Amino acid sequence: MIHIVYMSRAVRPLSDQDLQELLMQCRRDNAAHNVTGVLFYSHGNIAQLIEGEKEVLEPLFETISRDGRHSNVIKLVDKPITVRSFSDWSMAFHPLEPSGFEALQGFLLPHHLPPPPSSLSIADSLLVDLVKLAVFGAEEVPAGLGALDA
Amino acid sequence: MPAGVATLQGAELRYGFVNEAMQAVLGPAVREGDAVAEHPGAIPTDLLEVMRQVYDADRPFVAKAYCLPLPTTADEKPAPRYFDIALEPVHEGDGPVSGLLLFAVDVTVQEEARQRAHHLSIETRRLDTRLRVLTETVPQITFTVDADSRFEYVSPQWYYFTGQPPTADLNAIWPLLIHPDDRLRVLYQSDTARASGVGWSYEYRLRRHDGQYRWMLSRALPELHAPDQAVFWHGALTEVHDQRELADALRRGEAELRFLADSIPELIWTATAEGFIDYYNHYTGEYSGLTKEELGPTGWINLLEPSEQAGAARRWVQSIATGLPYEGLFRMRRHDGRYRWHIIRARQLTDERGPRWFGTCTDVDDQYRLREVLQTQYDELARTNRDLDTFVYTASHDLKQPVLNLRGLFDELRRSASFDDPEEGEIVGMLDEALLQLDITLQDLAATVQEQRGLSAPVEALDLRSVADEVLLGLRAQVQEAEATVSLDFEAAPTLTYGRANLRSILHNLFSNALKFADPARPLHLTVRSSLTDAGQPVLTVQDNGMGMELPGRPAPVFQPFARQHPHIAGAGVGMYLVQRIVASRGGHLQVSSTVGEGTTFTIHWFES
Repeated sequence: MIHIVYMSRAVRPLSDQDLQELLMQCRRDNAAHNVTGVLFYSHGNIAQLIEGEKEVLEPLFETISRDGRHSNVIKLVDKPITVRSFSDWSMAFHPLEPSGFEALQGFLLPHHLPPPPSSLSIADSLLVDLVKLAVFGAEEVPAGLGALDA
Repeated sequence: MPAGVATLQGAELRYGFVNEAMQAVLGPAVREGDAVAEHPGAIPTDLLEVMRQVYDADRPFVAKAYCLPLPTTADEKPAPRYFDIALEPVHEGDGPVSGLLLFAVDVTVQEEARQRAHHLSIETRRLDTRLRVLTETVPQITFTVDADSRFEYVSPQWYYFTGQPPTADLNAIWPLLIHPDDRLRVLYQSDTARASGVGWSYEYRLRRHDGQYRWMLSRALPELHAPDQAVFWHGALTEVHDQRELADALRRGEAELRFLADSIPELIWTATAEGFIDYYNHYTGEYSGLTKEELGPTGWINLLEPSEQAGAARRWVQSIATGLPYEGLFRMRRHDGRYRWHIIRARQLTDERGPRWFGTCTDVDDQYRLREVLQTQYDELARTNRDLDTFVYTASHDLKQPVLNLRGLFDELRRSASFDDPEEGEIVGMLDEALLQLDITLQDLAATVQEQRGLSAPVEALDLRSVADEVLLGLRAQVQEAEATVSLDFEAAPTLTYGRANLRSILHNLFSNALKFADPARPLHLTVRSSLTDAGQPVLTVQDNGMGMELPGRPAPVFQPFARQHPHIAGAGVGMYLVQRIVASRGGHLQVSSTVGEGTTFTIHWFES
């Protein structure tokens, strides 16, 4: 099993509907391939952590990096892991109209994001906190920082 | 549509024969026998006038693409229709003109096409002019070259740049102006591009009018007339000399900095604006025994002592979020597994290339350990010094009484005994003197120490907590070493009226004793509590879970100077004796209970009730 973390820029800003479609599509596909993780989106900034079997993740990342909806894909980490840190696949972003999203499976408001799970190494937690900071900016970060206290 | 034909008869030009096509042009209102002037139908007045003149002058007339608004149904706007109109005078035999033949051929489609072509040619001329102005005003040299590598066009900038006369043979001269080192490559590259019908983009040096070679960027795209068959290449030459020089300088500068950073025996790294390390210098790899890939963007955190990782990571995120400098003292693992103390520092540089972080890890292990050792030794010396001072004071105080007794006995002896030998009387005098000397020495000793240690200071109301904290601060090294937890509870009796130096000395001795005699099998837990007895007298309890000790059968006095409970542990053996002396001298007493292997409890009754 491996996990991959990357950051990228959306080619054009994603609308609420784009985001919702992306969420539904990825959740369906990822569940089918037993891929778990989390995606952060804000103002065109994208970061994603995915975990799963090497044979699944490597072609998946190939597809992701060729996806025309984003560019400047920078892979930060690609390494073997022993346990999963996420139970499913979810997405965190700020919809323009949050009311409809609250009930959506796998959707999270950025400030409701749980701190990085303790199964991640401190180096990986730090990485997740840094990409979260890079995507959402400084206002959303203090919530995530708590995890490192534990 | 067939041509419209009509005959117009007589000087009044009355309609004669009107064929269907002409009827459609003139409109349904026109009937045979009507005069044209009265029922012109679609015929405008100017044509009417011309008809009359043709009739009068007996000369045929042809009007090309004459516009007739077609008669309309309902309220549609009349669409302009174009007709070639021919007016032919008609003679009856050889007689005068008797009428006119009117032909009308609809040429609307041709006319519209002609007009479109006209507009297009105007537009083309405009675009052409614009293109020319643009190509001749942009700083780039623009050119068109054909499949045989012949220049079809080159903008005037080429002549300005190269200083060549307008008569110069482009095809012969251009290759000669390319820097000799680049010439073959450029010719080959453009030849290859032309052969495969694709565009090109390459840089080369071109000789300027002043003889200087300047770097140029040549880019061209093919114009395809049939698929895969390029006929022309259109392109532009941009001077990129300054950019290239700058980029070269930057590359050189960066390479030099990298070299410098790689030569320094110190851990140096840089990070992106997001806080991901993108460069570790050579020494980092040497120190950690890990490659840049193994370290990764956040892997440096793994080098820190595990208990320090979370705090260090948290502070790094904070620095990235705020842009504030990062600084901390951490233990970093060397390739051999040994941890060495390092000061990690990082600062953010913000310039036109966006924020980046530059960091260093400086090995301060030797200094750190030396300082620790020195601090421990200093603390030890200070403590010993204090103990000795107090001991000297107490001892001198304690010796006063025996000296006094000795003097009394001696006086008694001198009074009752008689000496036969006068020399013996001298000895008595000398003895007397010696006693006096001893007394003065003791007094001086006590006074000196009193002066130095402030033991003579008057009593004052002391905050137990602040004094205890002060004492613990002095013992922090030992507290850390014993991994001791100290709980202070002074709530029941927070203040004590006592000599400050005395209280400090007592607490210091009690605490350091507990630390010294901690059981190595478990971390020390020290409980310090102040309380009031039923009679309202203050009491201090110091309880530890240390090794404990064997107490003599009788209750007191437990502590004699130089008597040591645990000979294997360093100490002068005066500590508890001093405590007891001080407490006693202030009118209190010390109580102790202890169980070997469980711990000891000291209870100080500050004042007797």
